[in-house]
Amino acid sequence: MRRHRTPLLRLVGLFWSTSVAAEMEYRVDFVLAVLNSGFGLLTTIFGLSLVFGGGPSFAGWSWHQAMVVVGVFTILEGFTRAVLEPNLGQIVRHVQQGTLDFVLLKPVSAQLWLSTRGLSPWGFPDVVLGVGLTLWAALKSGAGAADLALAIVPLAAAVVTLYSLWFVLATTSIWFVKIYNVTQVLRTLVEAGRYPVSVYPFGHRMFFTFIVPVAFLTTVPAETLVGRGSWAWIAASVGLAALLALAARAFFRFALRFYTSASS
Amino acid sequence: MIGRALRQARALLSVRYAEMLEYRAELVLWMLAGSMPLILMGVWMKVAATRPLGLEPVDFARYFLVLFLVRQATVVWVIWEFQEKVLTGALSQRLLQPIDPVWNEVAKHVAERFARLPFVVVLVALFFALYPDARWVPHPWALLSGLLLTIAAFAVRFAIQYTLSMMAFWTERAGSLQSVWFHLYVLFSGMLAPLSMYPESVRTFAELTPFPYLVYVPVAATLDHPAFPVDVPRACAVMAAWGVAFVVLNRVLWRRGLRQYSGMGA
Amino acid sequence: MSAASDEVVVHVADLAKHYRVADKQPGVVGTLRHFVRRKHRIIEAVRGVSFDIARGEMVGFLGPNGAGKTTTLKMLTGLVHPTTGEATVSGFVPFRRHADFLRQITLVMGQKQQLVWDLPALDSLRINAAVYDVPKAEAEQRIGALAEMLSITDILTQPVRKLSLGQRMKAELLAALLHRPSVVFLDEPTLGLDVNAQTAVRAFLRDYNERYGATILLTSHYMADITALCERVLLVHDGRLVYDGDLAAMVARVAPHREVEVELEQPLPAEQLAALGEIERVDGCVVRWLVPHGALTRTVAQIMQTLPVRDLRVTDPPIEEIIGRVFAGPAPEARA
Repeated sequence: MRRHRTPLLRLVGLFWSTSVAAEMEYRVDFVLAVLNSGFGLLTTIFGLSLVFGGGPSFAGWSWHQAMVVVGVFTILEGFTRAVLEPNLGQIVRHVQQGTLDFVLLKPVSAQLWLSTRGLSPWGFPDVVLGVGLTLWAALKSGAGAADLALAIVPLAAAVVTLYSLWFVLATTSIWFVKIYNVTQVLRTLVEAGRYPVSVYPFGHRMFFTFIVPVAFLTTVPAETLVGRGSWAWIAASVGLAALLALAARAFFRFALRFYTSASS
Repeated sequence: MIGRALRQARALLSVRYAEMLEYRAELVLWMLAGSMPLILMGVWMKVAATRPLGLEPVDFARYFLVLFLVRQATVVWVIWEFQEKVLTGALSQRLLQPIDPVWNEVAKHVAERFARLPFVVVLVALFFALYPDARWVPHPWALLSGLLLTIAAFAVRFAIQYTLSMMAFWTERAGSLQSVWFHLYVLFSGMLAPLSMYPESVRTFAELTPFPYLVYVPVAATLDHPAFPVDVPRACAVMAAWGVAFVVLNRVLWRRGLRQYSGMGA
Repeated sequence: MSAASDEVVVHVADLAKHYRVADKQPGVVGTLRHFVRRKHRIIEAVRGVSFDIARGEMVGFLGPNGAGKTTTLKMLTGLVHPTTGEATVSGFVPFRRHADFLRQITLVMGQKQQLVWDLPALDSLRINAAVYDVPKAEAEQRIGALAEMLSITDILTQPVRKLSLGQRMKAELLAALLHRPSVVFLDEPTLGLDVNAQTAVRAFLRDYNERYGATILLTSHYMADITALCERVLLVHDGRLVYDGDLAAMVARVAPHREVEVELEQPLPAEQLAALGEIERVDGCVVRWLVPHGALTRTVAQIMQTLPVRDLRVTDPPIEEIIGRVFAGPAPEARA
């Protein structure tokens, strides 16, 4: 039997062009999103300047190197706003209103549908600002072309790790229908990634490396970018990303067994 | 008149409290979502251990712990609910009742404080068990003025956010406005670091805004530490002024907003 | 049937409401153009409607989607400010939203709920009692009485989210009527309910009207709601009132025919059947004629005499069809 299959990329493209169209309805929001990114960045930089206290370096990081961390964080923040929040943030709603039924009935991978259905353009300013800041600060810290190229690996791993963490937490709403804010907790903890992990005391550092792997989200990519990366950390970040991605997929399938579609 | 108000307040509070208890699991998550001060506490304890600031790591531990508590006691989310009500038209139901819709929201916020309290107490006990050096007994007067200023901070913060909520009548997502506002709040309220660590010029500017009164002032009043100076009577006066200003602005916007809302089809 | 008096409770004169809506073309180009420069369009939802309703009347408000029914209800309850014209309800101007006015009315929206989702309905009722100044003992007595009329006494202590749609709607009705409003507006109160629940809600509304002399104005998609409750209907089409009066008279005017359905012993040629009257449909042995009221007896007699009849039925066309016929034509007045 032959059947027509829309190419995956075209499907995602269609999803995203319609959701951008929906979002563009809100003009004031566009201005606000830019302000939001700007102030967010300003807040982080100001906080970091207080921590540095005018000194040339803190906890082994020079000012420009620390700015690379901020840049990477801003990119991930943009990714969160553009992709994670409009999609994974909606899973709770799907479960509550029983519309997850429709998703499961579609002849497309449910995980793909739930993860790519929406795209919010209001994450774009963050991505643009983040990429700009990262490049500028990395070059100022003496990064070469090889460092930039190599950093793509831990950066991609960071994106996959962040996505998988979000997806696992969002999936728990299949059991805990009322939990809106579980991803909000993750967002708060990820905030710790605004600063290099070495600015934290030992206990915090352990927590942000092994329990909530914030260190792999911003510090490892930033170290690679400024030419301080170690193969061991890069390999660990790729391994972690792969592991979490597989775990997220398995967890979702497991959770679906407990899905009882809402009664009304 | 007063009897009626009391009766309405009691009914609203007790029912909303029962509602909040249905959200026990969420309350824990909401509390944890406010754990940013505990993260920054780590940073500043390390800074204090690295270079002389005139403050010990334990001072920062107490500063950020009290800050955490003040933030827990002054959480406001009215803009998200209000925005949802305007967008879905659910506000209409409330408008049909002979009581201003704001009281339902106030009741939810106040009831939520009490529902959240036990979890906060457990967390603080856990903190002191893990970090006994940070234990201290605040002076009763300091504690009292800190508590009063915290309540005032909640009132002012609610008035401000409810005023921002009115924007939901004109723009479809007032929530983004709140996000921008929140960045300024983090920047100028003393959440990143004690306001006394800020450069002189930034601090002077911050004091012209309502932000320090929402966080730094109640924290400093509770700690009563020479490194965190605060003029309590003056702070009360300034907060009252901000509160009145926002309530007046709120009522003006509310009236115009209702006209706009009904123009859109309620 | 209804407990109507002569006192006018709802007075509406030349009421109109215009909305401004943004107009956007689909697609990326349309989006970008809309982003840069918005185009607006005026929608005339209600274009000059006038009627009076007496105390105790039960009036049905009919019309297709978008005819302006809900907008009119919202103007009468003070949610929407009229663009022009005037409306008074119980002597109040609704849009001022005076507390005394709000205590006398209620608006039940079939699609929206006021009960707190995670708590038993009783908790929400406590809030309503306090908000509407119903004394505690009085409130308990009313809850008991209304719950009994709705037969939901035993579900009031269950969280609302656990209730079925029908139970939830009944609980919503209880909450909406706890302050014993004298003017009740209902917007699709039976939408989505099963037949039993629909019947129960109808019976309750009739009972409420008789017991408390309340004035009721309701919109519904289900004609059965209207035929069961209302002697008088207001028909709106495209923002205008096209009929105001007796339901039966409207049926006679718009549909001056009755349907005669006959089941024959064997199929017969169409010419032979057509000779007896206007044929609506032939389906094998089953034939349907449209017969004018005046000719009914004669035609039926003729059919019985000349055809091999196994079964015969005379019915009114379903009222949905009648309404549909009114709205299908461009100008109903022209036909009258």
